[in-house]
Amino acid sequence: MTNQTVIKVGSTATGFWGKFRSVLARRTEGRAVVLFAIIATFVTVSQPLVFTAYQVTLGRIALIGLVALGLTAVILMGELDLSVASTLAVSGVIAVTVANQTNMAIGVLAALAAGVVVSLINAFFVAIVGINSFIATLGMLFALRGMAFVISDEAPVKLQNTDLGIAFGQPLLGPLTPRILIFFLIFIAIQIFVSRVKAGREFLAVGGNRQAAYDAGIPVKRRIFTGFIISGVVAAIAGIINAVERTSADPTSGSTVLLASFAAAIIGGNYLKGGKGSIIGTLIGAASLGMLQVALTISGVQIPIQEIFIGGILLIAVITDPSSLRAVWGSLSTTFQGIKNSLAK
Amino acid sequence: MRKSRLVLAPAVMLAAAALVLSGCAAAEEETTTDAGSTTDSTEEVAETYEVYALLPQGSDQAYGTFYVPAMEAAAAELGINLTITNSQYDGDKQASECEIAVAAKPDGIILWPAVGDSVRPCLEAAAAAGIPVTVTNSDLFDADKALSFGYSGPDTYGQGVSSAEIMCELVGDTPVNIIQLNGAPGNATAIDRDNGFTDTVAANCPNVTILQEESTDWTKATAQQVASEMITAQGIDNIGGIYAADDSIAAGAIAALEARGVVAADYFITSIGNTFLGNPLVIAGSLDGTVFQSSSWDGDNATRLMYAVLTGEIAAGEREVRFMPSVKVTAGNASDADVAPEW
Repeated sequence: MTNQTVIKVGSTATGFWGKFRSVLARRTEGRAVVLFAIIATFVTVSQPLVFTAYQVTLGRIALIGLVALGLTAVILMGELDLSVASTLAVSGVIAVTVANQTNMAIGVLAALAAGVVVSLINAFFVAIVGINSFIATLGMLFALRGMAFVISDEAPVKLQNTDLGIAFGQPLLGPLTPRILIFFLIFIAIQIFVSRVKAGREFLAVGGNRQAAYDAGIPVKRRIFTGFIISGVVAAIAGIINAVERTSADPTSGSTVLLASFAAAIIGGNYLKGGKGSIIGTLIGAASLGMLQVALTISGVQIPIQEIFIGGILLIAVITDPSSLRAVWGSLSTTFQGIKNSLAK
Repeated sequence: MRKSRLVLAPAVMLAAAALVLSGCAAAEEETTTDAGSTTDSTEEVAETYEVYALLPQGSDQAYGTFYVPAMEAAAAELGINLTITNSQYDGDKQASECEIAVAAKPDGIILWPAVGDSVRPCLEAAAAAGIPVTVTNSDLFDADKALSFGYSGPDTYGQGVSSAEIMCELVGDTPVNIIQLNGAPGNATAIDRDNGFTDTVAANCPNVTILQEESTDWTKATAQQVASEMITAQGIDNIGGIYAADDSIAAGAIAALEARGVVAADYFITSIGNTFLGNPLVIAGSLDGTVFQSSSWDGDNATRLMYAVLTGEIAAGEREVRFMPSVKVTAGNASDADVAPEW
């Protein structure tokens, strides 16, 4: 009898639906996939141009998603990096300024080095000094913005090799521009790192329970440094791409990137407290947001209305989280029980 | 192995999607071509034009609140179907909006550059697609002008010149030290007005010395803070006047002066805009002069210039420039109906 029961449970767990349920229970992208499907359906019906001009849509997804991918590495550990928007601006300014005086390769290297330095400083304050990452990176956000203005002399820096910039914006592989290709390469690289490499897998452990991670012998501080370096370097790459593709580096650039990146990560099912989430989720979040933005732009919907749409989707993503639903359900149950008890008296 | 599949799956799906969508795009191109020929044959029956207006602001800013309705009213009158975007002065976002506009293949694009240096790829893409572009509010840099059919809007450099002329006329031959509050850093309008003002002061009244200049974000609150810091740095007794890049900035600077217990009317103060905020200050005597800028003229003419291009009135290579009249507004004419503030 006992053997029969064991066999039954075992067969369910290893069967298709058992595996499917098991995967669903472990993954955090479920809501993101549902939201993506809803948005894709809405867009298909209302603005099919979003799909027919897919290279434009992919470009918008890459614009939003690139910074969000790097940011996710930090979010998985329960930290925040608000400085990504300014890192993007200052790295673009450095890349073009140095490129104008030397060549593009040195400009790119200088900008990447700036991204590494910024992330090391961020990680130092967070991991070594122990400052809350929100505060540490907020300070860096302002400092870097000021630095971008100082380096650029408060004006956009024009790329002297304009032809290079124009060429960089052209399709390289089929209809895919270098921006889109770099975006997917970075996605694959970070996804492999977070899912296949031991150091990357430990990000979730650090975010889930930091003390337990310490106790398990995980080098938490080193992981925090790694996460911030990924975030900073990816933001720097985004800044370089923007500057080269636009043929100029604007010290004010990135003003709308920060919130869009966080929105993509949250829609993708990443928990801001860390420990749960995935790079694939962020990709789906960025794709949902990018498609929606392109559809609304084509429709001529004004910014305040667009913000209502995006805010609504963010809210849906947050409140449909199972733990939030359980909390709401628990709260409602308590309230109704209280009312019931009062009426009974 | 399972995780590798998980990683590769999205990439494979995207590649497959790209192939499928390539087919869709090709089919769409054919459909568009067919539709295009249909439109050509019925053009005489109903002449409506599809136009994208790529703006950096809209109802989220005072100027745009009056600019956009005027633009839309002219479009309704001329049979233009406008699709308006707002990049919130983010050059990257506007570039992405431009890609969307080019993909939509409209009859024309009206561009108000968010960042003047960043629009070259957009102009090149539109030109390659055969879509005419006209520019509104902030003109292009000289190297890019050949890629557009025309410009309508304020003469931003000329506005700085006019504001400086008011200042020079007021000051006469008296040596005066002033502080200068500019617009947002990197903004083309702010740079042009700055150049117009400083060039004219240097040429017409070298007795005016600019002690210090700082940027603001065009708002009164920031301007008040920046002006207060500049007054502290230079000393209230060393300052005889202020140039502000627009009326909101002037209002902030005047508030900073009054916070020091001095009378703003005792200082030479000029700005640009003649807004709902600036005009009463001119009438009250706190602001000596400003330069009239009509947001409705700007929006209206942006549409009319594009219409002139679409109807063949302006041919390729004949770039037309329509400057908004830069009327000086001082205490003498501030109450006149023809310079009544609009925004």
